[in-house]
Amino acid sequence: MKISVIRTYSCNTFPIFHKPKTQSLSLCTRFRRPICSSSLKPKTPLFLRPPNYSATLSDLKKWHDWAKTFSSSIGSSFVDSDNGPDPSLLCRELNWLIEDSLEDHSLIPQLGIQDYSTNVRLRVDIDELYSLWKQRIEERKPFQYIVGCEHWRDLVLSVEEGVFIPRPETELLIDSVSDVVSNNEELRKGLWVDLGTGSGAIAIGIGRILESRGRVIAIDLNPLAASVASFNVQRYGLQNVIEIRQGSWFEPLKDIEIEEKLSGVISNPPYIPSDDIPGLQAEVRTHEPRLALDGGLDGMDDLLYLCNRTASLLKPGGFFAFETNGKKQCKFLVDCLENDNAGSFCNLKIVSDFAGIPRFVTGFHQ
Amino acid sequence: MRMRSNLFWALKKLQSISAISRIDHLNHRSSIQSAIATASLSIFRSFSAETQPQLSTDLIKVMEQRLLAIEHRSVCLENIINQPEASPTEYSRANKELRKLRGSMELINELRTKQKEIEGLKSLMAECPEDKDMLDMANDELGQAIDEEKRLQSLLLKSLLPKDDADERGCILEVRAGTGGEEASLFAMDIFKMYERYSQTKGWKFEVVDVTESDLRGYKEASAAISGTDVYGKLKFESGIHRVQRVPVTEKSGRIHTSAVSVAILPQADQVDVQLKNEDLRIDTYRSGGSGGQHANTTNSAVRVTHIPSGMTVSIQDERSQHMNKAKALKVLCAKLYEIERSRIHMSRSKLRSEQIGSGDRSERIRTYNFPQGRVTDHRVGITHHAIDDMMQGENLDIFIDALLLQQEMDAIASFSSTH
Ligand SMILES: C[S@@+](CC[C@H](N)C(=O)[O-])C[C@H]1O[C@@H](n2cnc3c(N)ncnc32)[C@H](O)[C@@H]1O
Repeated sequence: MKISVIRTYSCNTFPIFHKPKTQSLSLCTRFRRPICSSSLKPKTPLFLRPPNYSATLSDLKKWHDWAKTFSSSIGSSFVDSDNGPDPSLLCRELNWLIEDSLEDHSLIPQLGIQDYSTNVRLRVDIDELYSLWKQRIEERKPFQYIVGCEHWRDLVLSVEEGVFIPRPETELLIDSVSDVVSNNEELRKGLWVDLGTGSGAIAIGIGRILESRGRVIAIDLNPLAASVASFNVQRYGLQNVIEIRQGSWFEPLKDIEIEEKLSGVISNPPYIPSDDIPGLQAEVRTHEPRLALDGGLDGMDDLLYLCNRTASLLKPGGFFAFETNGKKQCKFLVDCLENDNAGSFCNLKIVSDFAGIPRFVTGFHQ
Repeated sequence: MRMRSNLFWALKKLQSISAISRIDHLNHRSSIQSAIATASLSIFRSFSAETQPQLSTDLIKVMEQRLLAIEHRSVCLENIINQPEASPTEYSRANKELRKLRGSMELINELRTKQKEIEGLKSLMAECPEDKDMLDMANDELGQAIDEEKRLQSLLLKSLLPKDDADERGCILEVRAGTGGEEASLFAMDIFKMYERYSQTKGWKFEVVDVTESDLRGYKEASAAISGTDVYGKLKFESGIHRVQRVPVTEKSGRIHTSAVSVAILPQADQVDVQLKNEDLRIDTYRSGGSGGQHANTTNSAVRVTHIPSGMTVSIQDERSQHMNKAKALKVLCAKLYEIERSRIHMSRSKLRSEQIGSGDRSERIRTYNFPQGRVTDHRVGITHHAIDDMMQGENLDIFIDALLLQQEMDAIASFSSTH
């Protein structure tokens, strides 16, 4: 099977995404614009920037003390209002911010002990550190956007405002793929699809498991996500394994013959019921793209759409795994897979995350 | 008494090399006799460039019996294999045992060839006592052959001594502040860093697993995974109570405090070593009560792994991803399960063996760090080192470790001789 050349996903202006009312292709193709990549160049995460700044260790400590006091001052207010972070979590994030900003990590332990007049090299201006931490607390900007990366599985993925931050729960999707291909060389060698790839987390996780024997196509409607995903794919040297395509769900696959051809379909599509969005934690509600979260009235719009099309695309024995909002959605999905697609699937399973919430639906094409 | 002076020489040598200033007492656990008998072997092992191996005749006699038994067994097994009527199970069992003996048999065969050569040279010299050139030449060769014989005997002895398969593994280091409050936590941090620096000098990989800080940024508890060759074999003697005597930074009056830190060294193990099945594990994450998934943005990816059959739990929170926290927790859990299994086997072995050092008794007070006097004393070998700052920089830890290894070998040889 031949994968066509990469389609371009860049555009001049950053489009404001609204939830597409239907999954109609015409709406989605609107987002595909001609080449001009400059404006969508992903930001470099803090830890990858050159250490071009310097400050005295005591100035850094002063900032750290200020930031700790600031973090403690919020008490349990974030927790109480919307299940947000508490001071101890914020203080741990602070340590990670220092880790990412400071060139020489061996200096970190000295911060707590003594003031030093020695200069340390930083990847960010000390004034900027003050402003970053203000954004963290006052604007509730997610920590991952502050440092421009998220540690996920054994990966460090670049993320930025406008691109969904991968969640720890989703790590398990990769384990399920790993289990499946570990004793099925046929599936390992095949073509896999990650629908709604965001930062590219799932695609890269799978790409590493296939050990360059198979291929992954990762799709996202959001051009910024596609560009950040490309950056991450390159950082892990997987350009030959993973191809990023911009467009809506299966639409960017139109040019290749995929009916009954795919080894696997994996997706963590938007699944939050629209009515829940206003009550979300501030970090999510005010900073993460709504396109990545809103799954329509009952949150099932995208899940159902994807499930129903998966049957015809998977080859016999092909594997699929979807992340869901929890027990209700899992049950609903399994119902629909068993009834509406009767006879298409086997080995349907609901898999719980480590918090014990039924989170994933997995299965095989007959 | 020549052997005895050899022992003193060995310790003296150690002293001069490592600036040990005082030898409190000789190891009282191994019998003096066997210690004497074996000192020279240890000298050979440690300082082979300077000395010739010398095994006591008693020890050689004991070993010779073993060698004969091995040779005999080997012949029996060969016979079984060559018997056409041997059943397949008999055959494969014999074959397996034979394979195990092969290493020893190769050395024994080499030794026998050497011994024949020595015989030959000796009789040659006896036959023509007049031929001076000939005698000189034969004598030279004889000297070399005898050296070689001794070398082979030493190797054989080493291969026959019981050895701990875990020695070559990496280890998990656990440091825990004991009595002494904040001061103990600060010292726990110092000790932890001492091992970190020591690992660096050895070229080992030192990965912090988890640290629980105290109020003054000392360590209430800290653990690390140390990987490299023979890490466990070298560090296993560090398990035990480390006592510190110094004026704490928190102490205004300048009074000296005594506090303690416990150190545990566990060999690293994986899921295969401990036959850990996924069904035996329960993995929990911190749950804020919300729906999780896309709803929540959190950097808290703490993981608690529970081993259901034993109820043992390990929690890790310091890594930045759930996956890495889980991997670390599993690493620690496997090491703990492996240790339990090992001590179970250990208990069922002879008393003699469980009395040896390095048996991992973590309640034993093994070392005192006295800062006002600038000294560190290891109570098991009775050695005091007078440059405490170097020691804390991880520099001279080998003084103790080498002495403890030497003693372990003496103990092993003592039990080798006494069981025959
Ligand atoms: C919950 S995020 C998941 C991102 C990533 N897979 C992860 O797990 O971190 C959902 C993603 O689906 C993308 N998406 C939403 N609607 C889409 C559509 N119609 N076609 C393709 N991607 C879409 C969003 O841009 C977003 O990146």
